[in-house]
Amino acid sequence: MTAPVNADVTRAARRTGTGTGGLVNTTVAWLGLRSLFGRRRGILLFALPLVLLALAVLVRVLIEGSAAAPDILYQLGLVVVVPLVALIATTGVLSSEIDDGSVVYLLAKPLSRLTIVISKLLVAFGCVLVFAAVPLLVAGLILRWDLPRLGIGFAVGGLAGGLTYCTLFAFASVLTRHAVVVGLVYVLIWEGLLGGLLDGIRWLSVTWWSAAITDEITEGPPLVEKMGVTYAIAATVVVIIGATWLASHKLRGYSYTADE
Amino acid sequence: MSSPSETRPTGTIHDIGYRPYEGVRLGEGAVAWSLFRTGLRHCFGLGRSGRSKVLPMTLLGAILLPAVILVAVLVQAGEALGLTGQLVPYSRYTMITQVVISVFVAAQAPALISRDLRFRTITLYLARPLRRSTYVLVRLASLLVAVFALVTAPLLVLYVGGLLADLPPGRETKLFLGAVVGALLLAALLSGLAALISAVTTRRGLAVAAIIVVLVVSFTAVAAVQGIATEQEMPRLAQVAGLFSPYTLVDGLQVWLFDAVASTPAAPTGRTGVLFALTALVVITASIIGLLARYRRTTAL
Amino acid sequence: MSTIQLDHVSRWYGNVVAVNDVSMTIGPGVTGLLGPNGAGKSTLIALMAGFLAPSVGTVTLDGTPLWRNEQIYRDIGLVPEPEALFDYLTGRQFVLANARLHGVRDPGAAGERALAVVEMTDAAGRTIATYSKGMRQRVKMASALVHDPSVLLLDEPFNGMDPRQRLHLMDLLRRMGSDGRTVLFSSHILEEVEQVARQIEVVVAGRHAASGDFGAIRRLMTDRPNRYVVRSADDRSLARALMGEGSVRAVSLRAEGGVEVEATDFGRFSAALPRVARDLGVRLFEVSPTDESLESVFSYLVAS
Repeated sequence: MTAPVNADVTRAARRTGTGTGGLVNTTVAWLGLRSLFGRRRGILLFALPLVLLALAVLVRVLIEGSAAAPDILYQLGLVVVVPLVALIATTGVLSSEIDDGSVVYLLAKPLSRLTIVISKLLVAFGCVLVFAAVPLLVAGLILRWDLPRLGIGFAVGGLAGGLTYCTLFAFASVLTRHAVVVGLVYVLIWEGLLGGLLDGIRWLSVTWWSAAITDEITEGPPLVEKMGVTYAIAATVVVIIGATWLASHKLRGYSYTADE
Repeated sequence: MSSPSETRPTGTIHDIGYRPYEGVRLGEGAVAWSLFRTGLRHCFGLGRSGRSKVLPMTLLGAILLPAVILVAVLVQAGEALGLTGQLVPYSRYTMITQVVISVFVAAQAPALISRDLRFRTITLYLARPLRRSTYVLVRLASLLVAVFALVTAPLLVLYVGGLLADLPPGRETKLFLGAVVGALLLAALLSGLAALISAVTTRRGLAVAAIIVVLVVSFTAVAAVQGIATEQEMPRLAQVAGLFSPYTLVDGLQVWLFDAVASTPAAPTGRTGVLFALTALVVITASIIGLLARYRRTTAL
Repeated sequence: MSTIQLDHVSRWYGNVVAVNDVSMTIGPGVTGLLGPNGAGKSTLIALMAGFLAPSVGTVTLDGTPLWRNEQIYRDIGLVPEPEALFDYLTGRQFVLANARLHGVRDPGAAGERALAVVEMTDAAGRTIATYSKGMRQRVKMASALVHDPSVLLLDEPFNGMDPRQRLHLMDLLRRMGSDGRTVLFSSHILEEVEQVARQIEVVVAGRHAASGDFGAIRRLMTDRPNRYVVRSADDRSLARALMGEGSVRAVSLRAEGGVEVEATDFGRFSAALPRVARDLGVRLFEVSPTDESLESVFSYLVAS
C-alpha cells in the first residue's frame, strides 16, 4: 500500500481489468440490479404484471375467448404496464443515484460514460423483458390459448415499446432530478390525454409505435390506424440509439456541485 | 514621538443585541393553522421556488381549460344548439380529467410528506408545541384541501357558466352541490391513499411511482372488467368491480346518492350502494389510522 | 510526478462568480486548501476532479486537460463530500465494487488492503446504512485508495470525525504525502490544515488569496503595514503633519491627488488622523484602505 509511486511498471500491470473495455461493465450492471431489488422498488415491479395476469385469469374464467382480449392486453398491458415498468426500472437504476449524488462513485472511474449508460440500461431492459413482455405473452396465452400470435405479438410490441421508454427515461434522468414526474407527465398526459385528443401527437407516441408493431404480428383487427410498421420500427430504433447516445453525452458533462 | 504612557481605553457593553422573546406565545391551534396554510400553499408551489410552481399550475390550467371551453360554447351557442343542460355533466367531468388529478396527487403528496421524513426535518416540527397526531392530520388536511380545490375549480367554472347561460338555477345548484360532495369524497380518498404511500416509502421518486401505479392501474383494470362484465350481462360483477378504484367508487356513490349521470357502465343500485359508502368510509379511516401508526414509529433522530 | 495545474481559471454560474482568476500548481506532498465556507473550495476540487468545466482557463493533470476525460481517473482518487453512499451494500462490497470498476487486477486483495489502511476491516461486513458518519468517511477513503492513485483529492475529509479518527486520518495523509503522492484536501478549520499540510492555498470569496508555507504567510500578514489613501482639501499640509505622527511610517503624495499613508499601527492611526485634520482645519473627503481584500484574509487567518 505504501509502495512509492514512481513504479510505472506496477501501475501498468495493475491495469488489466475485468470489463473496463467494451460496452458493458458487469459491475455497473450488478450495482444497478442491487439498487433496484435491494430496495422497495422491486415490489412495485412485481405488482404490475401480477395485476395483468390476475385480470387475464379473471376474464378467462368469466368468458370464453372473447373479442375483448386484445383490448385488455392493449389497454392495461401496452398502455399502462409497459411504460410504468420501464419508468420504475430505469429511474430505480439511474435517477435515484443521480438524485442523491452517489453516481459520482461511478463517474470517478476510467469508464466511458456510454458503457455506464448501456450497462444500466441492460438491467432496465431485463426488467422490461421479465416484468412486462413475458407477462404479456403469458396473459395473451391465458386469454386466447388457441391464438398464440396474440400473445407473441403483444410481447414483442411491448418489448420494443419498453426498450424505447427505457432509453427516453434514462435521458430524462440525466437531465433533471425530477425524472419520475417528467416521465409520468409524458406518458400519462402527452401520450394519454393529448394523444387521445389530437391526431398529430400519435406520430410521436411510443405506445402507438409498439401497437403498430403488435398489429403487424397479430394480424388481427388493428389497434391503431394509419401507421405503417416500417415507420414504427424506424422510429423505435432511432429513439433507442439517439436517447442512449444523448444520455451518455450529457453524463460526460455531469457536475456534482451544481445544485438546482 | 508619541507619549509612551497612553492610557488603555476602557469600555462596557450595554447591549449585545440578543433579546429574549417575551411576547405572546400562540398555542397549538395557531401552530397547526399556520402549518396547514403553508402546506396548502406549497402544494401549488406558492412560497417555493419558481420551478416548483410549473407543474401544479400547469395541471391547474389543464383541468380548467376544457371547462372554460365548454362554458364558452354553452354561453355563446347554447340557444342555437338547443342545450338545456351542461354539455358535460358535473359528475362526468372529474372522471374525464382524472389523469390530471392523479398526476397532481402523485407529484405533490410526496413533496409534502416524504421529504420531511427522509431528511429528518420532522424532528424540527415535533420539537414545537405540536403533537405528532396534529402534525399528521394537518398535513393530510393540506393535501386534501389542495386536491379538493383542484377538483372543484373546474366544477365551479361550469356552475357559474351554467348560471350565466340561463340554465335553471335551482337544478344547477343541486347538481353542483352534489358534485362538490363527490369532490370532497374523492379528495379524501386520494389524499389518504397518497399520504399513506408517501409516508411508507420515504424516497420521493419511489412514492410518486407507487401512487401512480395504484391509481392508474386500478382504474384501468376496473374499467376493463366493467366493460367485459357489462358485455357479458353480469351487472353484479360490474358493480362490485367499481369498488376498487377511487374514481369509480366516488362516481358510483354520486349516482347512488344524488342520481347523478353515471360515468361507468355499472353504477350501483340499492344495497350495492351501501357497500360503496361503507368501502369509502373504511378506506378513508384506514388511511388515517395507518398514517398515524406510521408516524408513531418515527424515531427522533 | 503528478502535478495539477490551474491556469487563470474562472468559473461562474450566471451572475455568481464562484472562482475568480485562480492560478495554482499542486505538486507532490500534502497541500491544504483553506478558506471560509462559500469561498469556492468545493468548486475548485470539482474542477480538479474533472467534474466541472472552467468557464475560462485550463485545468490540467501533467499537461492533459481534465474535463470530459475518463482516463484521468486511473490516477486520481476522489473522496467527495456528500454523504450519499450505496446504503444497501456492505462496506466490503462497496470497496470491492470500486476496485472492479477501476479495473484493478485482483480486486479482492486491493480492497482488503484499502480497508486495512483505513482500519475498517472489522466493520466491513455490515451494511453501510448502519455506519456512523466517521465510518462512512473511512469507507469513502478506502474506495478512493483502492487503485493506488498518484493524486488524491479530498473534499472536507475531517467532517464529522472524532479526535481519534482525525489523528489517524492526518497520519494517513502525511504518509501518503511523504510517499510522493499529490494529496489535496480542503477544510475551513485552521488547526487541521496547520498540522498536516506544509503547503497551503488560501481561497477567499473565489480569489486565490495566498499560497505557500503556513507560517510564512502568517508572518507576512503581521509584519505588513496598512496602506491608506486620504483625499483632503490640503494634501501637502496634511502630509507634513502626518509625518510627525508616531503611528505613521511613510507618507507620499500621489500624482492624481491624495496622500498615501503607510501606518504601522492601525488603532493609533485611526485616532490620530481626525485629530490632525481638525487641528489643521483641513477637511477630509475620503479615507480608504488600499489592501482591503487582504484585510479580510488577515483577520480570517489570525482570528483563530
